[in-house]
Amino acid sequence: MSEEEKSLLTDEVRALIGKVTDAVTVTVKEEDARRMRDVIGDTDPRWAEGTGIAPPYAIAAFGGRPSRNMPFIMPSGLLTQQEWKFSRPFRVGEQLQSTTQVSDIRERLGGRYGHSVLVTTSTDYHDAEGNHVASALSTLTQFDPKRAQGKAE
Amino acid sequence: MSQRYFEDVNVNDELDPVEKMPTADMSIDFFGRNNPMNPAFADAEHSKRLGMSGALVPGMLKIAWMTQYVNDWAGPDSKLESIRVAYRRPDIADKPLVLSGRVVDKREEDGKKVVELEVATLAEGEPTVRGNVQVVLPSRG
Repeated sequence: MSEEEKSLLTDEVRALIGKVTDAVTVTVKEEDARRMRDVIGDTDPRWAEGTGIAPPYAIAAFGGRPSRNMPFIMPSGLLTQQEWKFSRPFRVGEQLQSTTQVSDIRERLGGRYGHSVLVTTSTDYHDAEGNHVASALSTLTQFDPKRAQGKAE
Repeated sequence: MSQRYFEDVNVNDELDPVEKMPTADMSIDFFGRNNPMNPAFADAEHSKRLGMSGALVPGMLKIAWMTQYVNDWAGPDSKLESIRVAYRRPDIADKPLVLSGRVVDKREEDGKKVVELEVATLAEGEPTVRGNVQVVLPSRG
């Protein structure tokens, strides 16, 4: 690693791994469920209007965009990996407690992004009884566009 | 929507491909018009300044379509347990995407009948997102 390519993963950055945010309350909203179903073109009877159930992808409406609570080490970032896990369906109107943590930070040299940093965060959603409902994991590849080869993606 | 049963599924079974046509309006509506989002999803000119050929299709919209794709295949008594995807290339609005999938494993796990699928979005025949989905199917027994 040359001087120019000195590691960006300082002790301060590494110390972010494993830190859990304070719980934030999110609400499963009918309007989000309806809007997303309509865009997707989803006619699945399990989460149709009036069932009281929201589709699994309603998780995307919980403010859990990948950049939330994510440390930015490089000027640009692209979502490169994502995972959703579900223990049970979302109930319209219910409130869930969400906690997020940085689960991993890695550095990569070379490739299309040049010197990049991969930051993975995971958010867990629990119901009022403390039961796990769902989790969302995202990896953002952060890079400097000026140094990326042939432009990022 | 018909029900698929664990006993009727075989490794290497292929899902019928489904075509989607993403638009910038869909991206905006998916997140909600009053909610913040990456301007590259809504504004083709902004996206072009980043070197893309048009407005980007959000990953969240694509993973949602993949979720729907597997749920439609599996049927109303299935339970999608997880989906994991890798975004390989950007997708551009107003260019068709084809969802494809294949069964790669079936097993009993903790009393559940789990089917594992590989799913992908293809643009001009090239994969742009690759994913792995685990879904629990009911048994005929």
